Parts: sequence; C-alpha cells; structure tokens
Amino acid sequence: MKTFSVNTNQHAVSAQEVTFTYHGADRPALQAVTFTQNAGEMIGVMGASGAGKSTLAKCLNRIVPEFEDGDFRGAIRIAGEPLEQLRVCDVAPKVGMVFQDFESQLFSTNVAHEVAFAMEQVGMDRAEMDRRIMPALEAVGLRGFEHRDPMSLSGGEKQRLAIASVLALRPSVIVLDEPTTDLDPEGRAEVFELIKKLRAQGLSLIVIEHESEELRAADRIVVLREGQIAADGPPSEVFARTELLRECGVRPPGLGHALELLGIEAQPKSVEQAYDAIVRAYPRLATNVVSNVADPSERAMPSGPAFIGIENVSFSYAGGPRVLDSIDLKVEAGEFLAIVGQNGSGKTTLAKHIVGLLQPATGRVTIDGKNRAQMRPAETARAVAYVFQNPDHQIFAATVEDEVAFGPRNFGLPDDEIRRRCDEALEAVGLQNERQSDPFMLSKGERQRLAVASVLVLRPRMLILDEPTTGLDHREQLRMMALVRDLNRAGIAIVIITHTPWLVAEYARRVVLMRKGAKIFDGGVREFFMQDELLRSSSFRAPEITELGRRFGTLALTTGEFVAWIKERA
Amino acid sequence: MPIYLYIDRGTFVHRLHPTVKVFALFIMFWSVYWVDNPIALLPVGLVMLWIAQLTDSWPNFYRLRWLFAILVFTTTIAWMVFYRRGAVLVNVPVFHVSRLSLVFGFGRGIKLAELLAASVLFLSTTKIEEFTYGLQRMRVPYRVSFAISLSFRLVPLFIDSAVTIVDAQRLRGYDFNQGGPIERVRRYVPVVIPVFMGALRKANNMAMALETRGFGFSHEPTTFIEYPVTGADVLAFAFLIGLGTLNFMLYWTGLGGIGPLK
Repeated sequence: MKTFSVNTNQHAVSAQEVTFTYHGADRPALQAVTFTQNAGEMIGVMGASGAGKSTLAKCLNRIVPEFEDGDFRGAIRIAGEPLEQLRVCDVAPKVGMVFQDFESQLFSTNVAHEVAFAMEQVGMDRAEMDRRIMPALEAVGLRGFEHRDPMSLSGGEKQRLAIASVLALRPSVIVLDEPTTDLDPEGRAEVFELIKKLRAQGLSLIVIEHESEELRAADRIVVLREGQIAADGPPSEVFARTELLRECGVRPPGLGHALELLGIEAQPKSVEQAYDAIVRAYPRLATNVVSNVADPSERAMPSGPAFIGIENVSFSYAGGPRVLDSIDLKVEAGEFLAIVGQNGSGKTTLAKHIVGLLQPATGRVTIDGKNRAQMRPAETARAVAYVFQNPDHQIFAATVEDEVAFGPRNFGLPDDEIRRRCDEALEAVGLQNERQSDPFMLSKGERQRLAVASVLVLRPRMLILDEPTTGLDHREQLRMMALVRDLNRAGIAIVIITHTPWLVAEYARRVVLMRKGAKIFDGGVREFFMQDELLRSSSFRAPEITELGRRFGTLALTTGEFVAWIKERA
Repeated sequence: MPIYLYIDRGTFVHRLHPTVKVFALFIMFWSVYWVDNPIALLPVGLVMLWIAQLTDSWPNFYRLRWLFAILVFTTTIAWMVFYRRGAVLVNVPVFHVSRLSLVFGFGRGIKLAELLAASVLFLSTTKIEEFTYGLQRMRVPYRVSFAISLSFRLVPLFIDSAVTIVDAQRLRGYDFNQGGPIERVRRYVPVVIPVFMGALRKANNMAMALETRGFGFSHEPTTFIEYPVTGADVLAFAFLIGLGTLNFMLYWTGLGGIGPLK
C-alpha cells in the first residue's frame, strides 16, 4: 500500500481563539476555540447538532469566513502557515476536506479523472498527475476502478473516491465531516477501515462523527458544546465522562457505559477488553456461559390477521433487474418492525409498494384485507403513512401549522376538524410551540418530527419511516425514537427502514432482512442478532453490548438489560 | 436506471475531438434553424439517425420517446391555432386546419424534435470533461465552460429529486391533476419550493466542495486527458461545414421554407 509522508516538525493545525458568528445569529457558532493538532495525530470531533463541529471544520480551509457571511476572529495556521488572506482554493493543497454529501463532491465521469480534478485545478503537469493517481486509488482500495463512472459506485466507494481525490494533492491535514452519515453498514465499515489505514500511515486527520465507537482509535477527542470546547483528551479519558457526554448530546460508548454502571473503572476499546475487565471483577462469570440464549416466546412472528399482506410480490424498474423477488410478508396491526439490508437490497422499493407509489409486476398487496390496487389514494393514505428519509422532500409551507394542515386540506376535512387534528399531531411530536415558525428555520431533528406530524395528522394505522434518524445527533435520535415508540404504544403499527443496529435492538420487536430483492430473514430481534453468519454476510453488526452479552451467554439488547443480567449473577 | 445520458462506447464519434463535438452540436442547431419545411429537414434528420445507430444511442431516444411525441404533436396542434393561412380542409372551431398550417406546424414540431435529438446525441457521446474542454478551446472562459457542462450533470439529479417530492405530496392526498391549465401549474408550488430549496442547498454544497478541490486556484487549469486531433476530426469538421452550408443554401434558395407549398 502506498504511504504518504508527513512533516512532523510543525503542528499540523493550530487554532488560536477562533470565534465565528454567523450573520444574524444571536450567539457565536464558535467561541474562543483554541487547540493544536500534532502532525500525524487523529482527532475526533463530537458534539450535538449546532455545537459548532462543521463550522470548525470549515474554518480550517477558509470556507468560513469566505463562503459564510459573518464575523470571524482569531488565527489558524496549517503546518505553521497562517491562513489569513487566503482563498478557499489556495488552502486546497494544504487541507483536504471530505463532506457528508458524496453526490455533491464528485464532478467527473471517470474515477481516474475525478482523482485528477484537484490536480488539474492547481495546474499540475500531466506526468505528475499520472504519478499520483494510482497511489491515491491504491491507498483507498479503488485500484482497478480507474475507468468506472463515479455515479456507478456504491456509497462507500464514492466516499473512498472523494478521499482519494484529496489524498492526491498530498495535503498536511484531511478533515472528514461526518463522512459516513449517508452510508449503509458496509459503506461505513469501508470508510472507517480506510481511516484506520490512513492514520497508521501518519496522516493528520480530523474526523467529525456522531458514533463514539468509531472514534475509539483516535488520539484525541474534542467535544464541542455551544461553540466551546467542553472536553479535549484521549478517548479513554473523554469517554469515561459519560454525564458530560450526555449533556453535550453525545452517545457514550455502550461498553464503557456498561462497565461504569457495573462499577468497573476501564475504558475498553473492544468487546474483548470489556469482557476481560468484567471477568477480572467477577471471576465466576467466566464459566457461566449458556449456549442457547434465544427465548422462543420472544419471537415476534405475527399469528393474527394481517393488516398489511404482501403476497408473492416481484418488481423491476423498466428494463432493469428484479428489485423485489417473490416477497411474502405479513404485518399485523400495532407491530414494530424493522426492515434492514444493504443499499439497493429493496427495502424502500418494498415500502413504496405498501403505500401504492409502485405497483407490483406480480403478486398483490392488501391493506386490512382489501386489495391495495383497488383502493383510492385517499383510503391508502389514511391507512398507511410514509415518512421520507429527507424531510426536506415535502416541506414547502410558510408555517409549521400550514405544513401539517396540508394533508387534511387535500382530503377536504372541515376547518375545525383540521385545527383539532393539527393540535393533536403537533402535540404528539412536541412542536406545539412552533406552529407559526417557518419550517425551513427549524433544526433537522425538528423538521424530521414535522414530517411525522404532517402524516400523523391523517391518523394512519401504520407509519413507515425511512431512515428516521439519519443526520440527527444522539439527543435528537432519542427524541425521535421516543416519539415513534409512543405512537406504537398508542396502537399505530411502525415499520422503520434503518441501518442502525442499536436502533433495531432497542426499539423493534421483529426484523426483516433483505438482500438483492429477497427476504432472507424474518423473525424476532433476539433471534436475528444470533444469526452470526447472516449478519456477517449482510455487513450488519449486532450492537457491541449485544456481542458482549453473548460472550457471557446472554443476549442483551440494551446496556440496562446487560447490566441487570450481570448484577443478578455476580 | 441510469440518470445520465452518456453511453460509454468506443465508436469513432465518441473518440472525436471535444471541439469537433461542440462544433457538431452548433452545426446541427444552425442547420435546423434555417429550414422550416419538413422535407428539407430530412437531411439533418437522416444524419442524426445515422449517428444514433452508429453510437448505439437508441436507449436514450427510447427513454425520451414520449417527450419527442409530445413535442411534435402539441407543436403541430398549436400552430393550427396561430398559423391561419391556406384553404381550410376541415371546419373545426378555434383551429385553422389547412394543408399549409399542417405542414408549417409539423415542420416546427420536427424542428424542435431535431434540436432535442441533437442534444441527446451530444450528451450520449460526450463526457462533461470533454464538453468543458471543447468550450474552452472555443475561447469560452474556464469558469463559464465548467459551469455550463456541470449544469448538464445536475439536471438529472434535480429531476430525480422532483420525482421523490411529487411522491411525497401525493402520499399526503395531493392531486396534481385538478382544475384547468393555470390551476394545474399553480398546483406544482408544493413541488417547486422543495426542489428549489434542495437545488440551492446542493449548489452551495457543490460550490464548497469545488473550491476545496482547488477550483479557482489557477485561471488556466491543466488537463489530465490529452485530446489529439486526428484525421477523423478533420473529416468530421469538413462534413459538418458541408452540412451547415447545405442547410443555409436551402434557406437562401427558398427550398427550405414552406413557400413552394403555397
């Protein structure tokens, strides 16, 4: 593998008293932030949405203040050179930046050309470009992809290509701003594997990420809160401050938190280390392994009448391969089902068949016993509602209240009924005080809840949520899922399409795993997390706490469950 | 389903110098511009059919078949309302159905279809990097040529997002087909606003990503791919000059108009 040399004589990054206030904002997004990064160091930056993580990243390559209108103070040096007076493009050879939205950072029709793009911009000659392209592609594991169209790559490959294109300029620092948010588990694993390799080569990396487990390998963790550094230190120290992490909207690593609840002082970096620490504290647990941990009574297979019936449904887009292949599925009223699988496995296509956005080529879909093909759209919308992954795909009204009222108005409900339903829906999602707010000014989490309210107002009996927590910080994720759980408890059947293992473990009661358009697993959550081979081949991992539990012979879905089980036996 | 029109093949049209391809697009537009008569539009049409066959571009024409049909049909009908010349063949209220209005309207429809076909052929055989390079060689500033070529890559992304937004609003019971023509246009507001906001966001993200890759660092960026001028380029250039001249002569002599049909 090609390695990239770094200059270790200087701080890779030095930020002194950096303060930035966006135009019109009532408080600074960053406030007197001071930190240094040694050459070859990997820093993980964490914090809630709005804490200043992305603003900090953008300061390092002059996007702030060049692109963003506002007041910038302080000084930043990259490898000893001050950035003042430089344009964003002047900083490009020094600081590489990889964004969350991979579609927006690929501009070429050919992988090799994509890598060459930045080199062309800085006026590099063709011979030098030729010398740099293959090592950059090799470093990210894309050798052999030179002639592929970037748009034909998977999400993980696209993000690795984006990294290759910044590597080719050989910058002093690479900043990755939530690079895996939009990726499936396989894509996430690919990118974090690459980050590990780059770190091992001594590249200076700054990685912004919500999942603390992924940053355990960092040299330092910087936690931001309201634009200020709330914690800065090695992962073992920062992750041990679970209370502070929670206050900052960061999910503490499950393993460390479990050990803390058991009164064991340790910050394990792996399931193995956590297991060893527990066994040292409670030696008699080491032999207490139970071979079969699945409780058949907890299997969540439906036995009653189907609310949604999918019978032998197959589907292909015009001229394309089969996207759904002979799917049979039954969902009962009041169920909580998670549909998982890699990108392109057919999850969303299946959901679109349920709500009537797509018609099956063969087979049929029934809703409450009626053939969906014969139901009017209004009837379907009142039975099953669908919340798209991106709430911005539906928001258009001037106020939150109008946005929510849009659906009932389309169905011609009387004004007083619309008002009553809007109150009820806004109350349910906790936006009752925002009814006159501009929806575009809400946070991503609030917009996601608004999207739920705008379909909830139709009083559906089932809610399908496509990746409901993508792009939300931990606090917003918990709030969103608490809402979903409450709706389920109120009798609404829930189907979530997700890539997030802990979400499946903590909330769902039944899992359907899709692969290449086929349903390859349908059963209870505990049973699902016991299917080692199936999980591995689908690039889906059980939460670490579940893996740790299995080492002891139990199948815990949450930290609380695991700790209770250990305490009972210790 | 691919959202871009480029079809990666190694045909001689694909291998032509980018400047020749941009020039070919210009000549096709030029040729179509001067001629009104459907029969006189035939030579350009035949050249396009030949290129489509040669470059294996039929899948793109198939994808857009309804757009071609709608263009020709609605244009023919519309001109029967506005082009009120020639002896009426059939009495239909509002319409002026004459041989002349039919030929004129159909000619206009074919003209639009040929303009669309020229664009489809160009995008089927030209990568955006080639488009940028071709424009640059024609003295268009790099920033402008890059923006033009990138916009072609963005349009399919916006269409994709518009389809999702239409789906989202339909699921909230919205009927896009209610009311008369003006009301129907107005009813697209719940689609236009999210598409516009999404486009702004995407354009902003893209602008940031471009600058962080050094866009703007140099006024004259280098090019990774070499585009040598070959004998095929010279031949194609000569052929295009001939085609452009022929169509201008059709106009000049009046053979390209619909005058002789009067």
